[in-house]
Amino acid sequence: MDFSPLWLSLRVALLATLITFCLGLLAARLVAGMRRAKGLVDGLFTLPLVLPPTVVGFFLLVIFGKNGFIGQMLAQIGAPVVFTWQGAVIASMVVSFPLMYRTARGAFEQMDQNLLAAGRTLGMSEWRLFYKVMLPNSIPSIMAGTVLAFARALGEFGATIMLAGNIPGKTQTVSVAIYTAVQAGNWDLAYEWMGIIVSISFVTIVLMNAWGRYGTRYRRETEKEWH
Amino acid sequence: MALTVDIEKKLNGFRLKSAFEAGDETLAILGASGCGKSLTLKCIAGVEKPDRGYIELDGRVLFDSKRDIDLPARKRGVGYLFQDYALVPNMTVEENIGCGISRDRDKEAEIREKIDAFYLEGLEKKYPSQLSGGQKQRVAIARMLASRPNMIMLDEPFSALDSFLKWQLEQEILSLQERFRGSILFVSHNRDEVYRLCDRVVVMEDGATQEVLGKREMFADPKTLSATLLSGCKNISAAKKTGEHSLFAKDWNTSLETTARVPDDLAYVGFRAHFFEVAEKAGANTVECEVTRVVEDMFSIIVMARAAGSLETNARAYLRWELGKEQWARLNEPKKLLLRMPAHQLILMK
Amino acid sequence: MMKKSILITVALLLVFTLAACSAPQAVEETAQTADAVTSEPAVTESPSAEKVQLTIAAAASLTDVTAEIAEAYKAAAPDVELTFTYASSGNLQTQIEEGAPVDIFMSAAQKQMNALEDEKLLADGTRSDLLENKVVLIVPADSALDITGFEDLATDKVSTVALGDPASVPAGQYAEEVLTSLQILDKVKEKANYGSDVRQVLTWVESGNVDCGVVYATDAATSDTVKVICEAPEGSVKAIVYPVAVLEQSANKEAAMQFIDFMKTDEIAAIFEKYGFKIA
Repeated sequence: MDFSPLWLSLRVALLATLITFCLGLLAARLVAGMRRAKGLVDGLFTLPLVLPPTVVGFFLLVIFGKNGFIGQMLAQIGAPVVFTWQGAVIASMVVSFPLMYRTARGAFEQMDQNLLAAGRTLGMSEWRLFYKVMLPNSIPSIMAGTVLAFARALGEFGATIMLAGNIPGKTQTVSVAIYTAVQAGNWDLAYEWMGIIVSISFVTIVLMNAWGRYGTRYRRETEKEWH
Repeated sequence: MALTVDIEKKLNGFRLKSAFEAGDETLAILGASGCGKSLTLKCIAGVEKPDRGYIELDGRVLFDSKRDIDLPARKRGVGYLFQDYALVPNMTVEENIGCGISRDRDKEAEIREKIDAFYLEGLEKKYPSQLSGGQKQRVAIARMLASRPNMIMLDEPFSALDSFLKWQLEQEILSLQERFRGSILFVSHNRDEVYRLCDRVVVMEDGATQEVLGKREMFADPKTLSATLLSGCKNISAAKKTGEHSLFAKDWNTSLETTARVPDDLAYVGFRAHFFEVAEKAGANTVECEVTRVVEDMFSIIVMARAAGSLETNARAYLRWELGKEQWARLNEPKKLLLRMPAHQLILMK
Repeated sequence: MMKKSILITVALLLVFTLAACSAPQAVEETAQTADAVTSEPAVTESPSAEKVQLTIAAAASLTDVTAEIAEAYKAAAPDVELTFTYASSGNLQTQIEEGAPVDIFMSAAQKQMNALEDEKLLADGTRSDLLENKVVLIVPADSALDITGFEDLATDKVSTVALGDPASVPAGQYAEEVLTSLQILDKVKEKANYGSDVRQVLTWVESGNVDCGVVYATDAATSDTVKVICEAPEGSVKAIVYPVAVLEQSANKEAAMQFIDFMKTDEIAAIFEKYGFKIA
């Protein structure tokens, strides 16, 4: 069995999740602190969740394709993304972003506002507050958001095939490989891939939950509970 | 060390109108829950933004809606002690205290100094969830002082505490007052704490501040109904002027004489529970009452009595008298009482 | 408030890191487009002086057969490297319209090829009909229903029919043509389950969730859990032709035409027939 879709999927999903993690947190912080135009920006960030993935893929193709604004810029520096694994990363990142963003934003807005107020009166900068107070106190939600984002990125199909194509060995991720196997009537192969992807997801989710527990260890009353 | 506040804010149908000045003293904001005390503090700290107004501290303008000045909270130098202390749960005691210390100072030395000053040795690496209530208090105060504020605000610090912790905190605050040069704003709804800890008082009702008064002055002559209630006076009756020095208390069904001049727009009269005297015979300012309930407090007796002729269904008709246990014992559990209300102790309100 | 500059900086950093990752690969891996050729002919020639890259966008139903053909071509033209990408004909059309780097388009229907021709995206004189497919009526292998032809779809013998969505699936369009010529389209529409691609239709029939379905002969050939009742009657549907063409944007038109000619040889015709296709 050709395992290239597996390595490709892992590479794409991990990189996409990493980017979504950073951008999602920043976007959540931005929107949580907004007063005007909050609904508008929120709607924009949540859009990829609402649209069918093929439509998202279409929009990405228009933007990043040869005729698109960003596509032309990228072509200038010799880095087109259509039909490349980087395109798959972009597709996965865009569809998983709303999940990370919304979960994180919910956590930030439900935080004890007094904590933030206290920090501000003590002279802490907004950046320090974000990094030292908001993030550590939202770890369960952030973990949940990351798991959701990773799962979505790993299973992403519709937008990926639009932007990155379905090139065996180059842009055929596991989800696309399953689709292709089904198209060819090759059910055995499809089931094998499904088994692999379920195992990976399971292991990843268990690891992320463990990390989440470690991150909130200060909440335990006694040291015994840290284990 | 002067604080000037004059702000307005509309919030969900609630209108805040706070105006007062404070010098190098402890000023209490006394008011019932929900009257806008905390909101005022938050506006001064820069955590909430008033719609209109002016805030100045030590000659620095913190907020001026006319000139579009709104200093961010971290630049105002206002220390704020929250009701629940707001210690950062994921930081140790050391780190919490260090929050307010900027990098250009000797962080370690200053934290050490605060740990010593507040008897927190051995707790440096502990997290807030591992501390007792009293320890949390001290960490919160230490943290606030470490940020070197120009002014300190205490938001109902005693509300959620048991009596021993209250006593501890009071001592902390008393020593804080000795150490700290600057205004201290103290928000509370409890008149006893206010009386013990503050120099002057400003009463707040329904979002609006009233006149700033010295504490003795305020308790002796509260002037408004809300101030009187807040000052802990429990006997209040609707009243009508009947002469330059006389009035009729409707709820008590009694005519009373006063030493102070009765204002034309008199609406209420009040009398403190401790000032009743037992009268030998009927005369000026005496009231015939029937004892309805006797409650034993730790160190005193509370007697509820209804003035003769007043309505049974009217809660304000019941007079509350507080006296020592021996004094009550000497009276031999009477069913009827003849009480006198000395004229100079009557509180007149518009 | 939040230092927005940091937000923007981080975002830009990430975007450019991403782009930078692809820069070294872009030159070698993706098919050369006309732009690249005009700007840096020297650079692109040396690393790929040995191999010509051809990217072929092929309809999903051609997945397995093209894999075999690609193997055969390795022997015939060792200096040519073939890269296939598979999707529905509609998706491929959109990708090509948006400038995806494709040299050859193998569509499962004329509609998509016509659209590209109208948009002047095809290289002149390179379009031709490559394969023919047939539309067949299938039932689950263990079906006990007494169905003998398309006409039975309008009777009470059949309660559910799986068809491709005529709006986007060519197999669905062909099915509608057959039904229209038999004048039973309206009756059948009431019982129709529409699939988003022909594989889905096949799966529904295989699993017995519908009484019958209309798919390509090639799809039916891959499955041993359906049985073919019959082909579409003569004249009920115009020939299902799989056209092929070279795209105007291709930088390797000659090599592309050579591959197309290769696919029309007898040797390859045999491979196509093995998978259920007929040569056009």
